[in-house]
Amino acid sequence: MTSGPGGSGGASGGRKVDGLAHLDDADMAERETAAGEAPVRAPAPGARRISWQKWTFMPVFLVAALLATWLWFRGARLDSIAHQAVDNGKVWLALRQHIQLTAVSTFFVLIIAIPLGIALTRARLRRATPVAMAVANLGQAIPALGLLVLLVIWLGIGARSAIVGMVIYAVLPVLANTIAGLRGIDPTLTEAARGIGMSPTGVLRKVELPLAVPLILAGVRTALVLNVGTATLATFGGGGGLGDLISAGIITQRMPVLILGSVLTVALALLVEWLASLAELLLRPRGLEGTS
Amino acid sequence: MSFWEYVGTRHAQLLTDTYQHASVVFQCMVLATVLGVLIGVVTYGSEWAGGLATTSTATVLTIPSLALIGLLIPVVGLGVPPTVIALTLYGLLPVVRNAIVGLRGVDPALVDAAKGIGMSRTARLVRVELPLAWPPILTGIRVATQMLMGIAAIAAFASGPGLGNEIFRGIASLGSANSLNQVLAGTVGIVILALLFDAAYVLIGRLTISRGIRA
Repeated sequence: MTSGPGGSGGASGGRKVDGLAHLDDADMAERETAAGEAPVRAPAPGARRISWQKWTFMPVFLVAALLATWLWFRGARLDSIAHQAVDNGKVWLALRQHIQLTAVSTFFVLIIAIPLGIALTRARLRRATPVAMAVANLGQAIPALGLLVLLVIWLGIGARSAIVGMVIYAVLPVLANTIAGLRGIDPTLTEAARGIGMSPTGVLRKVELPLAVPLILAGVRTALVLNVGTATLATFGGGGGLGDLISAGIITQRMPVLILGSVLTVALALLVEWLASLAELLLRPRGLEGTS
Repeated sequence: MSFWEYVGTRHAQLLTDTYQHASVVFQCMVLATVLGVLIGVVTYGSEWAGGLATTSTATVLTIPSLALIGLLIPVVGLGVPPTVIALTLYGLLPVVRNAIVGLRGVDPALVDAAKGIGMSRTARLVRVELPLAWPPILTGIRVATQMLMGIAAIAAFASGPGLGNEIFRGIASLGSANSLNQVLAGTVGIVILALLFDAAYVLIGRLTISRGIRA
């Protein structure tokens, strides 16, 4: 996802450090199919420059949208069924559950996918890499809803099944991203590091990992954005979250509840994406600026 | 009842759902492709417009599908309309992005040569630029289709068509003997459809990618 600073340059400049991994598959496959023609895509200059308008637009927009929704919701006439869906702090509870689901599943995705990605690009396991990539691509074909509900049937109702499903669903793209990025590191750099006498661990710690920081940050963003979305489905397995409000709104045909739940979910997703791309920009190693 | 018995007794219902699922994804994908390529053609020339098109379609993709569908219901009601609108919107991003990248990647020397032999702007676009940009666009369509398969399942919650209904029937009867079969049939059906579509795209690629740029 290339909102924010990557906006225009994301397509050509920051393709490897992009949001959703299935899009990166597109890029990789596209580079393969387009390999025959002359690659004349120079990275856009200054693609990562901070522009204030771009960075302030999103929070201002979100505050305005939330304020408008709140004012409208206060004025909306609620009947007893709608009250039941939102009273007694149920909205805050849903929001808190949603954030918890997202945070916990993202944490597990990262501690599984990134070390696994590093392991799979080491010399000893390199032969397993294509297999892992194939599994990751195949996994994209499984609908998140089906996966989540199957896990609920298997593990029982509750947040735990939802989290397991979210982790499985998001691990694959982040893993594919990590592998692609580590493999994309210029081999002359690692060779030079080996040439000056670094141990394999040294090469990993001092050369490969620093070069892969943008990639790991992109993985964090991918996982967060995917998980905020998948967390809305937790409601179908009794896992809570903002999906509760949306589904209650749809089932009971109470539009104020439905709109409140949807607006909060959209706002949370956009906020999380905004924060993640801000973090991506600020934590990017200085030496990598201007490169892609 | 075993899974195969279930599939055997309900095959009429399952086939209808499968057909509707494939049909809605296919139609929305055609719509998204036409719109996406149009947006790409209009915006790729300008750095600013191309960036705006990519950023705004990327923002749409950030929005969880259940929430987008939820926002559409008060406006267009339940059923097919919110499903079609949501699927088309989500299908746009990969197509727009790859169309812009593909069109910008066309070697300017080739466009110049086309201009030199007297081709009009439209002829250059249709006969030179778009055929050269087609492989990345097709990749975008493939990625988008796979994504839409899963989103279409969620759209069934808003009374949309397709295999998602099978999954939601399973959720509604959670704990009963058939719920696992229902969810499994819906999920497996979607996976099979996704793989079939993917195979079809490989074939379409073989048939439509200009022989000159085939790897």
